[in-house]
Amino acid sequence: MKIERIKTISSTNQIAKELAQKGAEPWTIVVAEKQTAGYGKERISWFSPKGGLYFSVILPKSQIDDLQTLTVLAAFIVAKTIKDNFSLEPLIKLPNDVLINQKKVAGILTENIIGKEVKVSVMGIGINTNIDEFPQGLEKIATSLKIETGEEVDNNKILEQILKGLKEQLKTISQ
Amino acid sequence: MQTEIKIKDKIYKIEIFEMEKGLLKVNINKEDYFFTKNKLGELISVQPKSKIPEIDQEENGIVLDGLNEREIRSPIAGIISTIDVKKGGEVKLGQKVVTLIAMKMENEIIAEASGIVKEVKVKESQFVNSGEILILLD
Repeated sequence: MKIERIKTISSTNQIAKELAQKGAEPWTIVVAEKQTAGYGKERISWFSPKGGLYFSVILPKSQIDDLQTLTVLAAFIVAKTIKDNFSLEPLIKLPNDVLINQKKVAGILTENIIGKEVKVSVMGIGINTNIDEFPQGLEKIATSLKIETGEEVDNNKILEQILKGLKEQLKTISQ
Repeated sequence: MQTEIKIKDKIYKIEIFEMEKGLLKVNINKEDYFFTKNKLGELISVQPKSKIPEIDQEENGIVLDGLNEREIRSPIAGIISTIDVKKGGEVKLGQKVVTLIAMKMENEIIAEASGIVKEVKVKESQFVNSGEILILLD
């Protein structure tokens, strides 16, 4: 597993897709301190200031069914990681979001590039970890682990646990 | 397997043969059509070599990898999110032509050949089935 850490990036998914097309190995991870153009499904902007955890995983070439399953499983892995580390009760809004107290705390977006076959797959995960406040409009629908617990979150520890979970789950669904 | 189906007022005589593992021949009113599975496990149409004049006919076999690259087809069923090419525009090998939201993921469909867009067969927000033609190239 190779982790590329970048301070400021447009979008970890965008860069991961570019790296994958240039031949980067599966399980190359792109992690950013902040994203200037982070996005979720249908290109809806993802608020990505410094403090949050934003990363994308270049996935091994897989059947499209397996990628779909992994996307759903990723939401469970993120929710379980939150539950295991904090006294919080995350809820999964399938397939892409994890909520706490009805507010979004994490999102997942898997993107594929397909010709005759699946050529590139990346999974982007954004988690509102150490975000102190959200802009007006977002504060009603988004929250962070720091807001919910009042404590600073160790982003690296969370990243490590999620990556471990993803790797284990992909093994169980892939041939 | 032999059967007959009636669509509107027309009767179609259909015979299905398994030519070899993974290759089906479907004879509809004495016209042959060939199908195989693509790498996504979906049934796609392939062309017999004898129908493609530019291909050497000596072997008179079947082109298994016969997805016509002038036709960009949807590999999965889903909703067209964006169309990134226009009729008359140039498309390069590997260029994104359509984004398809399917199976809870965003899928960029890329061209497997270069060419000029002859026709865009779909519209944004349209549902497409697997195997449906999205773009025709000249």
